[in-house]
Amino acid sequence: MSAQDDHCEKTDSVVQYLDPRAQSRRDFLQHTGTAVVASAALGSVSMQASQAVPLDVAASALTQLNLTVNGRAQQLLVDPRWTLVEVLRDQLDLTGTKIGCNRSECGACTVLLNGQPVYACSQLAVWADGMEVQTVEGLAQNGRLSPLQQAFVDHNGPQCGFCTSGQLMSATALLRNNPSPDAAQVRMALVGNLCRCSNYMAIVEAVVATGANA
Amino acid sequence: MRALSNINARSIAEAVAAARQANDAGQAFAFSGGGTDLLQQIKDGTAAVDVIINLRPVTDAGQITSNQTETVIGGLITLTDLAADATLAQRMRVLTEAAASVATPQIRNVATLAGNVTQRPWCWYYRNGFQCFKAGGDQCYSVNGENQQHAIFGGGPSFIVHPSDMAPALVALRAAFDVAGPSGNRTLSAEEFFVLPSQNPARENSMLNTELLVGVRLPTPAANAVSTYFKVMDREAWTHAEVSVAVVLEMSAATITSASIVLGGVAPIPWRSLEVERFLTGKTLDAATAQQAGAMAIANAQPLAKNRHKLPMTSAAVERALLRLVPA
Amino acid sequence: MSEAFEPVTPLQTIGHATARVDAIERVNGSAKYSRDIKLPGMLYARVLRSPHPHARILSIDTSAASALPGVRAVITHENAQIVWGSGSISGGRQYSDPSKDATLHRRYIFNNPARHVGDSIAAVAAVDRHTAEHALSLIKVAYEQLPFVLEPEAALADAAPKVWPEGNVCPDFRNNLEPMVSNAGDIDAGFAAADEVFEGRYDTAFIHNAQMEPRCALAHWEGDKLTLYTPSQGISNCRHDTARDLGLEDHQVRIVCNYMGGGFGNKNQNQDTDLIAATLSKRANAPVMLEMSRREDWLGVHGRWPTVQYYKIGVKQDGTLTAMQMRAYSGMGPYRKNSGGLSGMEAYACEHRARAIFPVYTNRTTSGNFRGPSEPHGFFGIESMMDDVAFRIGMDPVQFTLKNMLRPTDAQPFTNYSLEDCIVRGAELFDWSTRRQATPGSDPGAIKRGAGFAFMMFRAGVGSSSAIVRVDSKGHYTLFVGVTDIGPGAKTTMGMIAAEALGVPLAQVDVVAGDTDRCPYSVGESGSRTTIMTGYAVVEAAKDLKQQLATQGMPIGNAVLIASATPQPTTDGKSRQCFGAHFVEVEVDTQLGTTRISKYVAVHESGRIINPQTTRDQIRGAIIQGIGQALYEDLHYDPASGQPLTPGYYRARHLTHADIPPIEVDFIEVDDGYGPFGAKTAGEAGIIMAPAAVANAIFNATGKRMTSLPITRNKILEAHA
Repeated sequence: MSAQDDHCEKTDSVVQYLDPRAQSRRDFLQHTGTAVVASAALGSVSMQASQAVPLDVAASALTQLNLTVNGRAQQLLVDPRWTLVEVLRDQLDLTGTKIGCNRSECGACTVLLNGQPVYACSQLAVWADGMEVQTVEGLAQNGRLSPLQQAFVDHNGPQCGFCTSGQLMSATALLRNNPSPDAAQVRMALVGNLCRCSNYMAIVEAVVATGANA
Repeated sequence: MRALSNINARSIAEAVAAARQANDAGQAFAFSGGGTDLLQQIKDGTAAVDVIINLRPVTDAGQITSNQTETVIGGLITLTDLAADATLAQRMRVLTEAAASVATPQIRNVATLAGNVTQRPWCWYYRNGFQCFKAGGDQCYSVNGENQQHAIFGGGPSFIVHPSDMAPALVALRAAFDVAGPSGNRTLSAEEFFVLPSQNPARENSMLNTELLVGVRLPTPAANAVSTYFKVMDREAWTHAEVSVAVVLEMSAATITSASIVLGGVAPIPWRSLEVERFLTGKTLDAATAQQAGAMAIANAQPLAKNRHKLPMTSAAVERALLRLVPA
Repeated sequence: MSEAFEPVTPLQTIGHATARVDAIERVNGSAKYSRDIKLPGMLYARVLRSPHPHARILSIDTSAASALPGVRAVITHENAQIVWGSGSISGGRQYSDPSKDATLHRRYIFNNPARHVGDSIAAVAAVDRHTAEHALSLIKVAYEQLPFVLEPEAALADAAPKVWPEGNVCPDFRNNLEPMVSNAGDIDAGFAAADEVFEGRYDTAFIHNAQMEPRCALAHWEGDKLTLYTPSQGISNCRHDTARDLGLEDHQVRIVCNYMGGGFGNKNQNQDTDLIAATLSKRANAPVMLEMSRREDWLGVHGRWPTVQYYKIGVKQDGTLTAMQMRAYSGMGPYRKNSGGLSGMEAYACEHRARAIFPVYTNRTTSGNFRGPSEPHGFFGIESMMDDVAFRIGMDPVQFTLKNMLRPTDAQPFTNYSLEDCIVRGAELFDWSTRRQATPGSDPGAIKRGAGFAFMMFRAGVGSSSAIVRVDSKGHYTLFVGVTDIGPGAKTTMGMIAAEALGVPLAQVDVVAGDTDRCPYSVGESGSRTTIMTGYAVVEAAKDLKQQLATQGMPIGNAVLIASATPQPTTDGKSRQCFGAHFVEVEVDTQLGTTRISKYVAVHESGRIINPQTTRDQIRGAIIQGIGQALYEDLHYDPASGQPLTPGYYRARHLTHADIPPIEVDFIEVDDGYGPFGAKTAGEAGIIMAPAAVANAIFNATGKRMTSLPITRNKILEAHA
């Protein structure tokens, strides 16, 4: 071993799975930073938790989260380990965003975060504090499908439909930056959205058609 | 996922202080830039974390600033922003090409330069929870096992390949690495930053766990410098390099006056091809030179039982990367 | 000699590109898939799975898990012995109750020993997901690890570890551990008559179905009635299986699936997750949502069986086949969920043939049906072999095929025959004579171009299913069919058939589907049967209703007229097939090992096309899956530990938008007088030829015969080393 070893510690990231009793005890400890919510605020927070508060997290470790979702301000109390997609689906009943793999390998959970496509399964909800989220439910305006959604209807965009929400969100972001993309540009922008039905050609045709009619 | 807490850090100083506090309290903690790979590892159980220090709100480490002698890129710049920088694209194309080749738009929109450079290996043993060197264990399962994707240079006792696309590009540009930690800031050369398994098989870089890569310093390239990043992937996107080549050449007409060739996907650290660099200096850049350079690049390769195919790939990749830079 | 055919007469609704009837719900996020459903008081379940490829469970201690606050039920093999009848079936006959009752190797929801990494060991239901996951970590299992075997040929060696005590050949429906054998003529005489005899070995990898929607199940009891919200491509089958496994009557089980995110054959029947959720729900007295992670779906459900195929072919100098012999091994995992068969040989005419296919137990994840369960790997094997034979006797493979492909005979007529037309048209559209290299591998330089071809015929037989049609006094029709639509657009197809048969616009027809309480039996979207069989039932029900209307007139006021049909059609002894030919051009980079497809032409005859838009996309989608099978997909195991190394989309390199080659699809339309308006099948047809056509193109480009799927870069490079 060389003199470099002063800077090379083996102990960094691997820690034994902890005894659950010690785990609960630690959860009652105060943490530094912004993770603590004053309990007085609980009553005034609008919480639509259809998922029960998990029992191994004490109430004091819940975090307040402010999101604007599809144009509406939402104040939520969340467990820090809830991902953005879980909060959207379970707290806000926006089940249009799907979980395909839960690990950034498929794109089914794509939403727009401050206008940019991200994988909602791989973002903790608390990281999105203060940000704007747009989901597939936010594409239609006053019950009217967006031109892109209509193009998906007309061009057989969805086969099983499970990847469709994610494809639509990536395509929506593309069309905002590039209103008339060609097929190659569409493929590049949507490359992070898998379709196992492999309906890729129809999806690209739908997005190109939307641009052509713009 | 087990319970954890999240700290939204607003500055590097705050992030480092939080890391030190967690470390002193014996808590497992992790910095999070984009967070995609970190969350994956937490869900898989290959990283155990009590405290996440979220760097997204940090505003003082994502800029690109340059003066006459160097360009400094903040470690927390997203890969999307990095790939889109017009000045970088013009003067250090290898960097923007590398950034654009990473994963997908959704990942690049949040992933940081620092996170990409310091990401953990993607070896299928490590990522499937085998207790190997990278997980704090005492063996490498690939050396006598399934090593199709593993190192042909620099391996032993671990044979992972460095997974970053940004790292070879940075090394080819002779980057220095700015690190911030509880004991202060320091700047490391590539040789000091990246760690071979023979030095320490558990790590890929020399930072302490309480330290952060807050920036890279790139010497201003010569006016006549050309560069490119050539990446070979299984499928056209969303995949780590099987083999990649970062090339920076300083040219005088068609003659190479200085060469920097760094390989990705073939070694536990970004692998400088010193013999090829020496060979190219003073040569005319043409098809014959490129081919010879490719052959030379694998002259000292040490393939394992199942990754011999990386040899022709590496020589072809070096050759084709150079051919891209032949003056029109 | 091709058969002259009449162009199909145009119809009102059928044959016109039609948007899906539920397209709006699919694009605005309102479509509720199984996991989107929430019930009051719903609990969340997680399954503990074996970390070992083969291990006896010595003890399970669930006391700490049960004591965890928020945990409402914990089940293991000790307190929940529920048979999963369709999980392991002698003979692999998934619809046969007698087979399931008599099955030698019974599979339960929890098995001891565990027989593959990912085999279910225990399950918990808790008030939330994190508690359920935490509870799993508290279950203490003592395992005795046992020797394991991963490859089918190795599993048949004398000293191989036994996956089951009787041996590693999967039992047939009589519980004999025997291969599937089919012979004709006299194989020795056939070889004696040959001028040349050629042999070859081909192997194909396990391919996971990899549908976008991970498996889940929401179980809910009301008294003795169980409702399961579960993604299913066969709700009738799922109901019947579940009822039988739980000791209930069919009417006590309701399966609901209005939207599902693909399956390609792994969401037929029921799945152990349905039974686990139902059992937890009963014990906990609350609805239970069981969600599989992507990794669990990969390891705990199934994918296409990996195979090793040996061929021996006898030919005369003029290219006429005299003998065809095949010996093959299909790796079924530890349970025989389906047949393990391999198709392809029967598409050739040859008097003397012998075929023996061994379905073999291994300690890998289970194999089962995936889009053309016996087809793309079987056709890859035989058509690579025949492509090689043609090459070695100096014959163009298209000519060789036209000479030897199965054609109608007096003894076996067909309802119609378009195979030659498909091949000839495909060759023309593709420009086969120009694109094909006269000498394989003759392109100079590192990038080599070449062309390959494959053909198929695939069963489009008729059979029985059910439909109900109702009309009200306002002239609005409702069609009740037990389909769910795994992607091809079955609801729309059925609606179009009904509209055509009733003589009304599609807008006047509502389709009610996806709920066994409301819908009659449907054969299930598998085996390419829904359009043909349920569609035919729709036609018959519509006929019946029209007759009632003719005699009774439209109903008045609140009255309705209802017609149901469960026809038993036949093809009068004729073979009914769909036909196809695929032509592929590739560029192989012999230094990087990359294969790029530069042109793909697919010609299909699938009878009358009900909905051209969805059918075209079915073919294109299936081709892309076939390309993935040809070039990338695998579930790679570490031989030393028996651990799977590449589950998941990233590791298996599924094709992205950027990987899609240009694909042209051309249909030859025929109405052979059978099926609903002459419709055949298209759902599975597209995948069958793709791996063979791609592999044959790679041979023509490089001169190297790639005999192992997937044709990954390391195999290309090793062949050129």
